[in-house]
Amino acid sequence: MWCFKPERIYPEAAFHLPYNWGKMATSLTRTFGSLRIVARRGLKNAELALNIQHPGPLFLPVRTKKRHFIPPAVGMKGKKEENPEAKARAAGIVFRQQYLERPINIACSAGVFDPYIPPEGDARLSTLSKEGLRQRTEQIRQSAASQLAIRKVKEYDSQFSTKTFAEQAQEIFIEAHNALTQFNKEKLHSLVTERCYPEMTRGNRYKTIRWRFVESLEPPRVVHARCPDMVTKGNLYGQVTVRMHSKQTLAIYDRFGRLMLGSEEQPKDVLEYLVIERHLVNPYSRWRLHGKIVPSWAPPKDPVIKTVAIPGPELKPWEEFDALNYEVPKPAAVQWNK
Amino acid sequence: MFLSAVLGPLATLNPNKLQVLGGASQQLSCLHTSISLDDKHWEKNNRKVYPPQLPEEPRRPAEVYHSRRQIKYSKDKMWYLAKMIKGMSIDEAIAQLEFNDKKGAKVMREVLLEAQEMAVKNHNVEYKSNLYVAESFSGKGQYLKRIRYHGRGMFGIMDKVYCHYFVKLVEGVPPKPEERTGFDQAKEYVQGLKNRTIIHSL
Repeated sequence: MWCFKPERIYPEAAFHLPYNWGKMATSLTRTFGSLRIVARRGLKNAELALNIQHPGPLFLPVRTKKRHFIPPAVGMKGKKEENPEAKARAAGIVFRQQYLERPINIACSAGVFDPYIPPEGDARLSTLSKEGLRQRTEQIRQSAASQLAIRKVKEYDSQFSTKTFAEQAQEIFIEAHNALTQFNKEKLHSLVTERCYPEMTRGNRYKTIRWRFVESLEPPRVVHARCPDMVTKGNLYGQVTVRMHSKQTLAIYDRFGRLMLGSEEQPKDVLEYLVIERHLVNPYSRWRLHGKIVPSWAPPKDPVIKTVAIPGPELKPWEEFDALNYEVPKPAAVQWNK
Repeated sequence: MFLSAVLGPLATLNPNKLQVLGGASQQLSCLHTSISLDDKHWEKNNRKVYPPQLPEEPRRPAEVYHSRRQIKYSKDKMWYLAKMIKGMSIDEAIAQLEFNDKKGAKVMREVLLEAQEMAVKNHNVEYKSNLYVAESFSGKGQYLKRIRYHGRGMFGIMDKVYCHYFVKLVEGVPPKPEERTGFDQAKEYVQGLKNRTIIHSL
């Protein structure tokens, strides 16, 4: 195909420019001089590209002279940014009104309101003694506030009953922990509230968790219920505490597959107080795990399979650290919500 | 305040976990599953998760990857320091860099201390001294270009150099480099000569 070739487009440039442009020191005036000449020529030649015999493209892009690299910082002096907003408005672009507020949906409450205080010695006494029998037959009817709360929950959810709910709660618990081992985010979000999710998953992203529910030693029981409301008066959330005693195995492996905590073969007896929550006012809400209550008399957990350095006491410059007489401070035995 | 959990139908495969699974997930492993654009390759090595080890297997040593980008120093000058600390235990490396007069030594020391802390906090390394420098090298960063004025209207393009520094710490005792004496080398040479054969011969 015939292509228009302008004559003598790069006379001086071809002579002056060496192969490696960027590296060599070149004259500024020479660079710009040739540029000026060629630019004019290049444009002129491109416009005269019409030939009737061989109709080529109307406007051929003519290759301009390759300029010396000039760092962008040189040409940027004195460029002040004009108001881009005014320009856009003048051009006719209309922006939607920007709201500074953003609607947030709160689907769970911030914590456990009025937490259940488990009686000391729970699940320690044998069932044959008087104390044990008393504990086992202790019914939720003793607490008036819990009764009120259950009545409120039954207003919104007619099928709610304390007897079936305990089993349901245990199922939710088992499914949630299985989802945690597989790390199935969506399933976990549907089984566990937003407040509980970070507590369950913090630090676990690069770890492998193996958890197994062996069996339930005692049937789960509903022990406590509350119906707090958040922000506005009618916005009710139902929180029900379920007590369960079961056998579980837990083993956590770190990023490299080394055992960090627990063991896979040895099951442990676990007494737990789970708090299950539901946003009652929302008809599509579900009962989800909200947290756990760890009583103050709970036995200490198993140690981690590694040595950890405990920060020592803060010393003044003239003091010395007495390693022999130093007692490691133990945390206070307080009930806390997990 | 809590946002409602509005998660669309995400893939069940966790995009950040390069877990070594078998079977069906191998088809998906060729897909580009990383979302963020800031993460570079070296740091992604820290996200690799190994499957749990069986009790008979030897304990896998922990590896920690760390880097610092766009250090205002030349990559060739940085290389000298990186080559110096390669193979040293971390305490030795930190000590050597502390008393080195180069500018890059200060930056390198900070990087090593950061990496050590990260290893103890996030990667389940038991003893912070039980680490050694397995890999350490420098790379070219993104340069800024400026004009350097010469006489007679001449100019050159000046590069403002930047470099990256990469380090990999591994748990354990540093491996001893094999010492080959002249006698060993001679023995190998002679053995090589003896191994020669003439093919297709009688």
